[in-house]
Amino acid sequence: MGQHPAEFLKMSMALIELFDLSKSYDGELVLDEFQLSIKENEFITLLGPSGCGKTTTLRIVGGFTTPDTGKVIFEGKDITDLAPNKRQINTVFQKYALFPHMNVAENIAFGLKISGKTQSYINDKIKYALKLVNLSGYEKRDPMSLSGGQQQRIAIARAIVNEPKMLLLDEPLGALDLKMRQDMQYELIRLKNELGITFLYVTHDQEEALTMSDKVVVMNQGYIQQMGTPEEIYNEPENAFVADFIGDSNILDGIMMEDRVVKICDHIFPCIDEGFGVKKPVDVVIRPEDIIIGKPGAGIMNGTVTSNVFIGVHYEMCIEAGGFEWLAQNTVSYPVGRQVSIDVLPENIQIMNKPQSEDEEAISLDD
Amino acid sequence: MKKLGRILYLALIVLFLYLPIGTLMALSFNSGKSMSAWQGFSVKWYQEMFHSQEIMEALGNTLTIALWASVIATVVGVLACIGLNAMSEKKRSFFMGVNNIPLLNADIVTGISIMMSFLLFGISLSYGTVLFAHITFCIPYVILSVMPKFKQLENITYEAAMDLGATPVYAFFKVVLPDIMPGIVSGFLLSFTMSVDDFVITHFTRGAGINTLSTLIYSQVKIGVRPTLYALSTLLFVTVLVVLLAVNILSSDAGKRRRKAGADGDYYVKQKRGITPKGAMALVVAMLLVVFGLNQYAGSMVGPQDQGKLYVYCFGDYIDPDLIDQFEEETGYEVVMDYFDTNEEMYPVIKNHTASYDVICASDYMIDRMRNEELLEPIDVRYIPNLENLQDNVKGFIEEFDPGMKYSVPHTWGTYGIIYNTTMIDEEIDSWAQLWDKKYDGQIIMPNSIREAYVVAGRLLGYSINTTDERELAEMTQKLIQQKPLVYSFANDNARDLMIGDAAALAVITSGDVLYAQEENENLEYVVPKEGTEVWTDCWAIPKRVENKEAALAWIDFMLRGDIARINFEYLTYAIPNKEIADLTAGEVLNPSDEILANCETLKNLGSAGDDLYSKYWKQYKGK
Repeated sequence: MGQHPAEFLKMSMALIELFDLSKSYDGELVLDEFQLSIKENEFITLLGPSGCGKTTTLRIVGGFTTPDTGKVIFEGKDITDLAPNKRQINTVFQKYALFPHMNVAENIAFGLKISGKTQSYINDKIKYALKLVNLSGYEKRDPMSLSGGQQQRIAIARAIVNEPKMLLLDEPLGALDLKMRQDMQYELIRLKNELGITFLYVTHDQEEALTMSDKVVVMNQGYIQQMGTPEEIYNEPENAFVADFIGDSNILDGIMMEDRVVKICDHIFPCIDEGFGVKKPVDVVIRPEDIIIGKPGAGIMNGTVTSNVFIGVHYEMCIEAGGFEWLAQNTVSYPVGRQVSIDVLPENIQIMNKPQSEDEEAISLDD
Repeated sequence: MKKLGRILYLALIVLFLYLPIGTLMALSFNSGKSMSAWQGFSVKWYQEMFHSQEIMEALGNTLTIALWASVIATVVGVLACIGLNAMSEKKRSFFMGVNNIPLLNADIVTGISIMMSFLLFGISLSYGTVLFAHITFCIPYVILSVMPKFKQLENITYEAAMDLGATPVYAFFKVVLPDIMPGIVSGFLLSFTMSVDDFVITHFTRGAGINTLSTLIYSQVKIGVRPTLYALSTLLFVTVLVVLLAVNILSSDAGKRRRKAGADGDYYVKQKRGITPKGAMALVVAMLLVVFGLNQYAGSMVGPQDQGKLYVYCFGDYIDPDLIDQFEEETGYEVVMDYFDTNEEMYPVIKNHTASYDVICASDYMIDRMRNEELLEPIDVRYIPNLENLQDNVKGFIEEFDPGMKYSVPHTWGTYGIIYNTTMIDEEIDSWAQLWDKKYDGQIIMPNSIREAYVVAGRLLGYSINTTDERELAEMTQKLIQQKPLVYSFANDNARDLMIGDAAALAVITSGDVLYAQEENENLEYVVPKEGTEVWTDCWAIPKRVENKEAALAWIDFMLRGDIARINFEYLTYAIPNKEIADLTAGEVLNPSDEILANCETLKNLGSAGDDLYSKYWKQYKGK
């Protein structure tokens, strides 16, 4: 981006703003007064379980679905009712959606031909795009003969040659195996940096979201549960849903005895949270890697190891203590049946308000 | 042993599947007319077929109707699929159900209901109504074969195309259409074959003179199948085979091309099944060319047409076909023939005006009925100079059903009597009573139709054959029931053949069949019983609302011409009441004496009350 003040202003301005989007299918509300603002050049991820409204949001931005209420503002213009072919937005679909009766080059040239580009421009673009996705020389291939990862990269190439302002990616890695998924994650970050396009990414895979995004929006039941950097989302989940959804967690019932003191499983734990009141029931989140395992009597509680699985870098163990099955991760292995103690540092205990009722388990940010 | 069994089993299946077609194909090259004996190789039936205007026209109709119906049904069906695809799941399955019901519907129900709808809206049956009906029944097949392709599509490539800037129309043609093409092609071919195949629906919706191959073959079956139809069927079979091969070659070509494109890489390239859009277009264009070529050919064979067309509706095989050509040559009219089996089949067509005919042939009592219902146009005798050739002895009978001969002119006539085999009978036969003689137990053939049966019983008991007196009817029925144990068979048309084959000694038969029977079996004699009988007359008449009255009058006059009557008689062997051929029809069989005729009546239309009465007693008789 240039030095011009206007350009600078644009950078900090929102590229796209979603106002009060609501959508229901067959009487079921999938999106409820959804608000989101996306800045230019941001990699933003909508993360949530299936049915949380993330794909609906993406389809509204792409123009494939019209919201019941609310507005989509793109560069200051209302595009809510604009047809998808008139938007400067391109999409990479979950199932790639390559045109089976065209070869790779024809697939990539599809959008360029419509916009009436010259043949030499199109040829250059195809070459450039294939190089960008590391598939040079694949022009004449039948897309259906390629592997899933290659097809996905063709789909990305096909979208980016049109130089969209924004790229929508709908669980693009969902159909790939683990190794290819990790490779593609790095590939996508590289692409985003090279192209300088805004990415709106939809996934239910928290690892993908945390690895690639500048900003993660955790969604459930049509509401935003939490929005923030991957670090914020992981380290400071704002409610039990986010904590549960992001990584593995021990979520326990606790009682805030006073500031900085919480009672869990009838044991008193020091913590760093304040302002929850006195003798107030709360939700407590403790990450498995934050549980310190020691000799019996060395920690706050004693317990027994009930299971032990090696999962790569560390061991994952369940420890029965105070009537709760604690999930703990440690590089040291404690065999099943061993008496141990557990301890948690005060700053690793995350205290959250309990939802008032079942319905409020999905609290929107505004509440 | 096991292997032998397997081969035998396979051979049997192939035999069952292909033996009939093979037989047909072989017979089409048989120089003789026989259905069983090989009389040498010949292509004359093929030549005859290509020179038969009737067959070429029917072929042209079949193909143009099939082609237009399948093209239009394909377009409509694909558009419907687009709509269906955009519906919610619930709505879509409802409408798919609606679509599938007509597929399960019996053809005859579809045919009749379409015909009734046309009549309801006052649409006269024609080529257009057949085409419309075919489009109607083809659409569900198109939807059924295209819809699954849409389901596979899941809209995703369509959305992708829109996303890349394509308008909905561009996206449809560039992305969706190629993907659903195999479904469209199979829907099109299915429609085409269903349309070529259809008989029932065509039969009910066709207009005057419109024949497809199936209706033509059906009407010829009534007359007698000629080997030209074997040739035609062989040609149809080969054509369908060629189309199928073309489709297969086109689609495997597409597969090869793709394999070649992917050959430089080490990835397996899936062979595409199905046909490319270009291939499909080529196929349709090729079919169009063939069809219109044939149509041109058929058109070039049509004689002079300056005077317009004459639509004739007649009993099957009632005119020498050569006379039709002669009439066309002499007058310049183009004759379109349609055939029916019984008066009752013809009557509703004229009554409801489902098809418009210029001249019809009908029996006496039907003329009476139609005249009374004002369905007939009076005939202006000034245009029929040859009427003077009409034999005087029929005129009295015409008075009975058409007083003053205002609405009809006789074509053929005859009596009902007894045909008997002189080798089986010693005495002279001269009375209906002899059919009740116990010594002929199991050797008597009685008519299997109501009025004719009561002619026999009625004249025997001395009652009118048109009686509606219930007491008399009851008595006649009793009489017939008495005779039942002696009867060998109840037969109408095939009584003649049974007698030729020496199957029985006596049969009730119409005089028209006698000459033919005597030619085949010299021991047969015919007599009109002394108690008297029915005299029947089949006449030409002109329906109301006629379109080409002039041509109709010319036709009637032509049929009365001496030389024409002569040719016709030689073909038919039915008595033609024409003075000019008195030499041919002399003799008691074809030209009964005035003495016999004095004792005869014609059948009259009895009205529905009368018909019901006869039906009631007929059921009693047949039920016993």
